[in-house]
Amino acid sequence: MPSIKPIRPRFHLEVLSATQREAIKSATLRVLEQTGVKFPSERALRVFAEHGAWVDMATQIVRLPPDLVLEAMGRAPRSYVLTGRAEGTDLTLDGTCSYFGTDGCGTETLDFTTGERRPSCKEDVARMARVVDYLPSVAFYWPMVSAQDCGRLAPLHELDASFNSTAKHVQTETVMGARPAQYALRMGEVIAGDRERMRARPPFSVLICTIAPLGQDKEGIEAGMVYAEAGIPVGFMAMPNMGSTAPAVPGGALVVGNAEVVSALVLMQLVAPGAPVFHSILASVMNPRTAEYIVSTPEKYLCNAAAVHMAHDWGVPSLAGGFGVDAAEPASWQLGRDSVYSALMCTLAGTDMSVGLGMLGASTLLAPEQIIFDDEIYHTHRILAEGIDTSSDGLALDVIAKVGPRGHFLAQKHTRRHIQDLWIPELTHPRQPLDGTPMPGIQPRAKAKLDSILAEHQPQPLEEAAQAELRTILEAAAQELGS
Amino acid sequence: MSKEEIITRLAQSVIDGEPEDAVELAKQALDEGLDPLVCINQGLTAGINRVGELFASGEYFLPDLIIGGEAMKAALAVLEPALAGDQERQILGRVVLGTVRGDLHEIGKTLVGTMLTANGFLVTDIGIDKPAADFVSAAREANATLIGASALLTTTMPEQQKIVEELKEAGLRDQVRVMIGGAPITQGWADKIGADGYAEDAISAVALAKQLVGVPV
Repeated sequence: MPSIKPIRPRFHLEVLSATQREAIKSATLRVLEQTGVKFPSERALRVFAEHGAWVDMATQIVRLPPDLVLEAMGRAPRSYVLTGRAEGTDLTLDGTCSYFGTDGCGTETLDFTTGERRPSCKEDVARMARVVDYLPSVAFYWPMVSAQDCGRLAPLHELDASFNSTAKHVQTETVMGARPAQYALRMGEVIAGDRERMRARPPFSVLICTIAPLGQDKEGIEAGMVYAEAGIPVGFMAMPNMGSTAPAVPGGALVVGNAEVVSALVLMQLVAPGAPVFHSILASVMNPRTAEYIVSTPEKYLCNAAAVHMAHDWGVPSLAGGFGVDAAEPASWQLGRDSVYSALMCTLAGTDMSVGLGMLGASTLLAPEQIIFDDEIYHTHRILAEGIDTSSDGLALDVIAKVGPRGHFLAQKHTRRHIQDLWIPELTHPRQPLDGTPMPGIQPRAKAKLDSILAEHQPQPLEEAAQAELRTILEAAAQELGS
Repeated sequence: MSKEEIITRLAQSVIDGEPEDAVELAKQALDEGLDPLVCINQGLTAGINRVGELFASGEYFLPDLIIGGEAMKAALAVLEPALAGDQERQILGRVVLGTVRGDLHEIGKTLVGTMLTANGFLVTDIGIDKPAADFVSAAREANATLIGASALLTTTMPEQQKIVEELKEAGLRDQVRVMIGGAPITQGWADKIGADGYAEDAISAVALAKQLVGVPV
C-alpha cells in the first residue's frame, strides 16, 4: 500500500477572531441553557437528568447549565489515534495534520463499466475501498454508497465490505441504533482482536448526524452511547441549512449547529467520561426560490472553516466536509471551483479530518473516477499548505551564485535533486507518449488510472478466519434484526 | 582500477550526471593508455544511451538528461583531443546552432545543443543575437549539414527566414538543412519560410535532426 500522505499545514487560515470565537461559544452556551435540544431517547434523557440537566420528559427537550457543558467537554480528549489494520495506517489526531476521507453515503452509482446511472450496491462499496486503499490522499474510508442490495442490514454490510477491502481506518456514517451498533462493535473486535484492543486501537469510528434545528436522532444518539462506552471514537455532524433549518446567517447557523453537536458530545462524556469524540458542522444554504439544498456557496465555505476553530475551542478534533459539492458532472468547471474552495478552506483552517473525496450531486452520486480528480486537487492543497522551505537549501544561494546572470538551472545537481519534489499534476500534465500517439482526454485518463488501480492493487487481505467471523456476525444480525 | 572498470565508471558518471567524475575518469583513462575512441563509444555513448532510456521510461527528468549531457561533453573535451590522427568519433552530423539577431533568449537553444551533442551530433554553438550571415558563414566553416535557429520573439522570427534566403544566395541550400524553434514558432511558419523542419522541444529537436540527416530515429 502506498503510504498515506496527510496534509501538514505550515500556515493557518483564521476566519474568526478570538473575540468572534468567544461570541459564538457563549451564544452556543446560551442556546443550550435557555432553548435546549430535543433528545428523543429515554436513556439519554435519564442520563442528562442524573447529571443535573433540566429535562422536560414530555417535550424531550434538554437544557444544559453552562458549567455542566464545560465540565463534560473538559473530559473529552484533544488527541487520540484512529487505526487501520496494516502498518502505516494509524492516524494521530493531534492538531498537526489533516487526514481526508471519502464522501458518503450515496444511493446511486455511475456503473464502473457502462457508466450508466443505477442504484448503488455492496460491491461498489468494496471496489471503492480497494481504490482508497491505494490512494495516498485518502487516509480513512467512509463507505461511499449504500449497499442497497443488502436490505435492512445494508449499513453492517457496508462495514463488512470496507473491512474486507481496505486496511485503512473505516468510519461508518450509517450503522445507527443500539442493537446494530452492538453488531458493529463485534465486527470491530474481529478486526482489532478483542474488546480491550479495540478500545486502545479503534479500527473504526462513527459519524452521527444531528437533526437541525436543535434536535437529535433517536437511533443515532442511542448508537452513539453504545459506541462511546466501548471507546469507539464518535463524532456528531450538524448540517444547518441557512434559511430553512437554520437562521439565514452564517453566525446563526454556526450557533445552531454548535449547540446540536456539543449537546450530543456532552451526553457522550456523561455516559463515558473521557470518550474520544469529534465535532463537525457542515452548513449549507437553501435555494431561496426552490428550497433546493446548496452546498457550494461562500457562506458554507466560511462556516466550514469556522467550524474547525469551534471544534478546537471545545478541545476536540474536527471533521470538516471538503469536496462533496453540488455539481452533477465530473471534470466540470463548477466541480473544480467548488472542490477547491470547500477543501482548501477547511484544510487551511487546520481541520484534523475532512471527508468528501469522490462524490457528485451533493454526496448522492458515486462517479468512480471522480476520486482521481479529487485526489489531484487534494495533493495540490497538500503542497500548498506545506508552505515554502526557507532553509539554506530551500533558498539555494549557492546554486544561484553558481549559475549567475543569464545562465540556467537545468544542469545543476540541486535542480536534479529538488525537481523530483515538485508536484506536477498528473491529470492536467500527463507524460506525453514519446512515440507521438495522441493523448486521450482528461476524463478517459482519470478512468484509466482508476481501472489500473482496480486491476493491479491488492489490499492486504483480511485473514480467512476473520472474514468468516464477520459473515457469522452478519448472519446473527440478520436473525435478530431481520434482513 | 581495471580498464573495463574505468569504462564502466565512465558510463556510470554520465548516467549519474557527475561531470567532475567524468573528467577525472577520462584523464585516468588516458593515463592508463586506454584508447580514447573506445572510451567514447563504450563509456560515454553507452552512458548517454542509458540516460535516454531512463528518460523515455519516465524515470528521469529533463535535468537528469541535461546533466548527463554535460558530463558527456566535459569528458569528450578531454578525450577528443587525444584521438589519433586517423581516428574520428562517429558523429551523426555537424550542426550550427544559434539564436537569431535581436533575440537574447539562450536557454532553449543551449538545451537543444546539449541534447544534440549527447545524441552524437557535433554542435557549433554560435551564441545569441546572431545575424543570418553568421549562421551561413559558420555553416560553411564547420562544413555543417544542419543549421538550428532559435527565435523567441514574434519580432525576430523573420530573421529565420533570412537564414534560408541567405543560404540560397550562398549556394549552400542543397547541402544545409534548416531547423527552427522557439515559443512563437509553428510548423506553419516553418512551411511558410521554407525551413526543413520545426521542433517543439529539445527532445523532438533530436528526432528532427536525425530525420533531416537521414538517420533512423
